Amino acid sequence: MRPLSVAWAVARKDLTSEWRTRELVPALAQFIVLALVIANFGFQFDSHNATAIAPGVLWMALVFAGLVAFGRAFAAEREQASLEAMLMTPATPAAIFAGKALAAIILLVACEAVLLPALALFFGVQVNASVVLTVLLATVGMAMLGCLFAAMVARVKARELLLPLLTLPLWIPFIVAGGQAVQAEMGGGSSDQAVALLLDFDILFLVLTSLAARYVLED
Amino acid sequence: MSAIVATSITHRFGSEIALDSIDFGVDAGEHLAVLGENGAGKTTLLRILATATRPTYGTLEIFGVDAWAERRRLRARIGFVSHAPGHYPALSAKENLEFFCTLQGADPRRVAATIEMLGLSEVADRPAGRLSRGMQQRLAIARAVLHDPKLLVLDEPDASLDAEGPELLKAVLRGRTAVIATHDQALANKLCHRTLGLRRGRLVGVPSRLRVVH
Repeated sequence: MRPLSVAWAVARKDLTSEWRTRELVPALAQFIVLALVIANFGFQFDSHNATAIAPGVLWMALVFAGLVAFGRAFAAEREQASLEAMLMTPATPAAIFAGKALAAIILLVACEAVLLPALALFFGVQVNASVVLTVLLATVGMAMLGCLFAAMVARVKARELLLPLLTLPLWIPFIVAGGQAVQAEMGGGSSDQAVALLLDFDILFLVLTSLAARYVLED
Repeated sequence: MSAIVATSITHRFGSEIALDSIDFGVDAGEHLAVLGENGAGKTTLLRILATATRPTYGTLEIFGVDAWAERRRLRARIGFVSHAPGHYPALSAKENLEFFCTLQGADPRRVAATIEMLGLSEVADRPAGRLSRGMQQRLAIARAVLHDPKLLVLDEPDASLDAEGPELLKAVLRGRTAVIATHDQALANKLCHRTLGLRRGRLVGVPSRLRVVH
């Protein structure tokens, strides 16, 4: 029970801080809309090929928004020396990490609440419940990995460069499976296999990152 | 009974020796002042005592157990004030304490009592980022005593505190074992039973006993 209450306290603390400062989500939402506007003008698409282009734009916007969101998750803690204050308590690093990842997931979901309707508006594609589920599943796994590497590079000066270098290769499975699933759903096909694969990746990385959190968070 | 037994504590940063074979002990309920000029190794020693840093060499026992091996369990019995305040600037002083109370697994009623003890009542609802440096230091001390630790490790706790600081610290230290790093010999005389001098990572002389003024 205690790890759960610690994780929830950490997540609530991050969300309260973001709600009061409004540093991240408004900027990310603007970035997402701008990315879609640029893609709207940059790609030559019509009603026939929109379902082929829109998933790519969706994942590109999500990946870059995610890198910014996860990068901030631990950088601020290191700058304020508050991560050490948390680690100086009996709370387990895995619980602290879970709380940070949960907050990052919720913040990215808030950005997706802007991204998905905007995608439907700009590209004229159908965003149904299956597309939303696929994006949410990918967000969970990507957030776990993103937060793990963000914690790893937070003490490094070149963290803005290192984070994408470490994270992007391991996000490829999510982008491939998520891209296939969204494309199938927008085209009216079945995405069951790709969604099942995303779920497998989520479970795998949830376990791996929880085990690695202890070694990453503690010096 | 010894609260702390440090044997041959050595710490290196690369090839640089920060602490060189330090031996000392602290009895339960005793207050030890660590004195030394800048770069003497005081902060490194205190971080090791707080289990924030693992010594490169040597053994440290706190309350009879290996401090590094049992660090997670021991942290429930240690309160640490470091150089960096480590507060969340958007959260109020009270919310900061409530958050750390959850992480410590402490009784939530301790928050109000600690705010009262540290004289933070008037600013309890103000964001920590808007507190004066002195109040931020009080908040850091409040966080360190929130879980009623038996050992306090305080790195220059008087920094930015006003004239009430020594009395406040005296109240906080009561009934606890404490190790305090300070530049202020007068404060050491007022709060501590003994001093331990450090110079360039080495002990200077033998730990001296002070005339305690309580």
